[in-house]
Amino acid sequence: MYEHDVLIIGGGLAGLRAAVEVTRAGVDVAVISKVHPVRSHSNAAQGGINAPLTDRGDDWESHAYDTIKGSDFLADQNAVEIMSSEAGEAVLELERMGVIFSRGEDGKLGTRAFGGQKIARTVFVGAITGSAMLHVLFEQSLKLGLNVYEEWFVTKLIIEDDVCRGVVAIDIKTGEMHTIKAKAVIMAAGGAGRVFEPSTNALICTGDGLSLAYQAGVPLMDMEMIQYHPTTLARTGILMSEAARGEGAYLLNADGERFMEKTAPDYMELASRDVVSRAEQTEIDEGRGIDGNVLLDLRHLGREYIEAKLGYLQEVSVEFLGIDMAEQPVPVQPGMHYIMGGIKTDVDGATAMPGLYAAGECANVSVHGANRLGANSLLDTIIFGRRSATHAIEYIKGIGSHSKDESVLASEKARLQGLLDRPKGERVATIRDDMARGMTKGIGVFRDQASMEGALENLKNVKSRLGGFSIENKGKVFNTDLMFGLELEFMVDCAEAVVAGALTRKESRGAHFRTDMTERDDENWLKHTLMYKDDEAENGVRVETSDVKITQWEPVKRVY
Amino acid sequence: MPDTIKVKLKIKRFDPAEAGGKTWWQEYEVDVHPDSTVLDSLIEVREQEDGTLAMRCACRASICGSCGMKVNGGAKLVCKTRVIDVAPNGEQLIIEPMGNQHVVKDLVVSLDAFFAQINRVEPFLQPSFVPEAEYTATNDSMENLLTSMNCIMCGICVSDCTVLEVDSNFIGPAALAKAWRFTEDPRDSKRDERLKALNDEDGGIWDCTRCMKCVDVCPKGVAPMDRIMELREAAIEAGNTNTHGYHHTESFYKSVKKNGRLDETRLAIDSAGMFNIPRMLDLVPIGLAAMRKGKLPPLMPHKAEDHKKVRELYERVEGESK
Amino acid sequence: MKYAFYPGCVARGGAPELYDSALAVMDRLGIEHVELTKAACTGAGVLQEKNLKMGDILNVRTFAMAEQMGLPIMVLCSTCQGVMSQANHRVKRDPEYLAEINTHLAPEGLEYKGTTSVKHLLWALIEDIGLDKLKETFTRELTGMNMAPFYGCYMVRPTDALEFKANPTRETSLEDLIEAVGGTVTENFTGKTACCGFPILFINQANSMKMVANHTGSAQDLGADAMVTPCPLCHLNLDGYQPKARRQVRGDKAELPVIHVPQLIGLAMGMSEKTLGLQKHIVSTKKLVRQAEALPVKV
Repeated sequence: MYEHDVLIIGGGLAGLRAAVEVTRAGVDVAVISKVHPVRSHSNAAQGGINAPLTDRGDDWESHAYDTIKGSDFLADQNAVEIMSSEAGEAVLELERMGVIFSRGEDGKLGTRAFGGQKIARTVFVGAITGSAMLHVLFEQSLKLGLNVYEEWFVTKLIIEDDVCRGVVAIDIKTGEMHTIKAKAVIMAAGGAGRVFEPSTNALICTGDGLSLAYQAGVPLMDMEMIQYHPTTLARTGILMSEAARGEGAYLLNADGERFMEKTAPDYMELASRDVVSRAEQTEIDEGRGIDGNVLLDLRHLGREYIEAKLGYLQEVSVEFLGIDMAEQPVPVQPGMHYIMGGIKTDVDGATAMPGLYAAGECANVSVHGANRLGANSLLDTIIFGRRSATHAIEYIKGIGSHSKDESVLASEKARLQGLLDRPKGERVATIRDDMARGMTKGIGVFRDQASMEGALENLKNVKSRLGGFSIENKGKVFNTDLMFGLELEFMVDCAEAVVAGALTRKESRGAHFRTDMTERDDENWLKHTLMYKDDEAENGVRVETSDVKITQWEPVKRVY
Repeated sequence: MPDTIKVKLKIKRFDPAEAGGKTWWQEYEVDVHPDSTVLDSLIEVREQEDGTLAMRCACRASICGSCGMKVNGGAKLVCKTRVIDVAPNGEQLIIEPMGNQHVVKDLVVSLDAFFAQINRVEPFLQPSFVPEAEYTATNDSMENLLTSMNCIMCGICVSDCTVLEVDSNFIGPAALAKAWRFTEDPRDSKRDERLKALNDEDGGIWDCTRCMKCVDVCPKGVAPMDRIMELREAAIEAGNTNTHGYHHTESFYKSVKKNGRLDETRLAIDSAGMFNIPRMLDLVPIGLAAMRKGKLPPLMPHKAEDHKKVRELYERVEGESK
Repeated sequence: MKYAFYPGCVARGGAPELYDSALAVMDRLGIEHVELTKAACTGAGVLQEKNLKMGDILNVRTFAMAEQMGLPIMVLCSTCQGVMSQANHRVKRDPEYLAEINTHLAPEGLEYKGTTSVKHLLWALIEDIGLDKLKETFTRELTGMNMAPFYGCYMVRPTDALEFKANPTRETSLEDLIEAVGGTVTENFTGKTACCGFPILFINQANSMKMVANHTGSAQDLGADAMVTPCPLCHLNLDGYQPKARRQVRGDKAELPVIHVPQLIGLAMGMSEKTLGLQKHIVSTKKLVRQAEALPVKV
């Protein structure tokens, strides 16, 4: 048994930012991550981080409004106000830690344009902003001597008297299982991209955090809000950053037209992501695509500019497609990328369960509402990572010492042994593929009652097979086979919540676009959906709703 | 264009659970999409053929650094290694874990030594003051650091480093490339201290043998050896002249200035250090052996024809940089 | 074919047998050459550690001299090849840098326009003359000779500066030569593109000795009769320091002869031990020479 005051699940941007904050306060903290922190999916964020800097003639309310408009007015405006007003300072702090952000002529932070915003306020490092930030936070963690349970896999939260008191986890390198008790747990375990196929997400993005909280009775909010990023590569789903469009790239259909003119004459390629993805999908569905793709054209930017500002994109294009972006346009299509939905938290990262906080992609404050603007996710991670930490530090002062109860460890060991002992059955990968393809098909860029019901049926079939998969690897050391089985169960929980939310929301808003109900219905649906795990309820999910917090900005029709 | 291609893999397996740890080779054959990478093929093996195969992978887009492993003897990031490039005629691919690191299981190596090396160079910004807003810096100075920032800590350079093969005390290419970033970062205040430490340390910048393996294998263009050479030049400029390495390069430089050619005898003596008796005595056997075979370099060195022109060239260039 | 011949410093200093055997081979093949006697040392990568620019200037000066003569450069040393190729690659891609370098050369009446190519004798034989033509001059087939190829780092990395894409035979040049002379390439010899340890000989001798011992020892264990290398710096270490290295690291004797590329070719051409300078090696080549001389000679 291990003990800490604060335990952070996940070593990505939200997790490490929280860890730095807790360490600075002199409080005992540890991070637990199923991969080494620098392997966290934060490193795949490319384009940049929004920073409304008031000394440059920008104002945070402008960013807040862009964010709220981008969210199709589903975001909680008080939360957005906090994020936007704290953003400038938070980004400057990152620079002071050592991030190598690009600069303007005056030597201060430079910016690029980004989707859904008229003012260029996205601060960046080439096309590797997420990686650059993650590595600097990792450097800071080394400087502070942060304790990391590296390559430990959390299988369950420890709940005692309805309060979160730690985790049960496997040390992947040895296969031994342990409890780690904590007075507060911050869930920063990232998104759930692998619930869909294809996806831009890494193979490790299996919704572990979302499921663990969900299983503990904490609601997941607005799970139907799944972001399809407009520029991903076919088959592999690899991401081509919005930064390309931010730097001036065009989107063309098979006729060579900049088709965004039709739906977003003002913002063009920099409209919000859901608008762009729908426009692309329409072109493709109506026969103006090329092999299921549209074209991302950077040729007019010139080779030198591309290599200086978008070097990583050129690398991906050349290595994975054999295409030189300075010479040829790149075929792209909408691909599942981000989940706006997540564990419901307040503006301090607190969830419905005392002792359990959440921050980053796994959380939903809500700042992104029904659609997230590009470069707001990196911002979300550091703002709410820090805020969760600040709140947790105070919270633990009122928490007593750890119990000696290890019963949950015994039951988890038995559960996992049970999985290992199963007779030869289906392969985990087969079930996961079926689930993920069904989810993409039914909960895609465009959806309707029939498609969503199709996803539900598919999911029911998948759930019926969960009792029959088997684990081939019976060993202890680095048993990724067992981990995949556990991850499949996590993913199914997430899928369940997504489908339930999608079938509940009877309108189109942001990323949830129903071809059978194309209009937004503020009167009835300016609400969040809340999914609770409930074995008594239909399909195992009980759905409730809650109001959206409006402060300054009355919802209006979104026009780009 | 066929729908699928056949990929043949021969993978080095290791299971520590068996008494003493068991190593063996295992062959697999899978059918994958023609554009597939080696990683796609390995995932296919893991998902459809053999769930006991252990390896690390995550992003599939060459940014997370998880999937370094040896393909036909040289370390590569398998997520961006296309099968048709390494096995154009369906040749069998030999897959092994990365080198110079302890193997945990199959293709998974421990990165403890790697991160210990990184830690040795104090890899975090050490500024001398904290500004109100941001530090000001030129865009060029920040873009210059991209070379090092592109490092995804995959461990491939360390895997194939020829010095680490014989000496685990060497800080290694990845850590030195990272150290370079801080010496070049205008916001860091410890440049001189860093250069001195890297210069003086056992296993520091002078232990690199300049074999270029790390430059060749790095999947992100970090070119660690080039960074190490820049560190050497910077260390010398900062006044660190106490190493054999310094004497070696200084002697070489001077020799060419004087003679247009290298004076090998002089070089050997200078590098050892004229007053370094043990090292000088060390040179005697080889000197004698060479003399016996009739090939001791002449004590009066060969000079290039018209070598005065070389001296004049040096003086012109040195004069300019003053 | 005519070349501007750049033998390098070591061929004229610590490895005179390389110079002599190279001249003998070029004579037999009728390769015309003019020695660049005014050219300076390439810097060998060592000078570049103190001052990269100075190294580039010295090499560009050499290129300009050859360019004036209208001849491609031929070298005998992997390190010369690599250092020159890297310098050439750098200046060809950066016209501003080249212009700056040319200002330093102007007082000597030199200007480099970027057209010089640099080829090692081994590459020149394969690419310009052709292995078939070369084989016509052979009087013996070195059947039964197991040779371990040791390229030397500078001859195989970095591949862009060395123009491997445009010249794919460069990747296997040594092995192709071994087969052309009728020998067998040592199988599974992983040291073939590794480092010989010469650059750190005076800096970290322990590591340098380990490399020498590992490579010569493993080659011998795998059945090699000799090692062949296109780099005289590698040769200095692998031959000159083999006795010390083997004794220190493996506790055994230095028994693997290490020969230069022209010496291997010369043996196939039927040249004598003396012509090829094979008696000048630290590790005796007697056994190898006897093995060659026992082979039938074509009339």
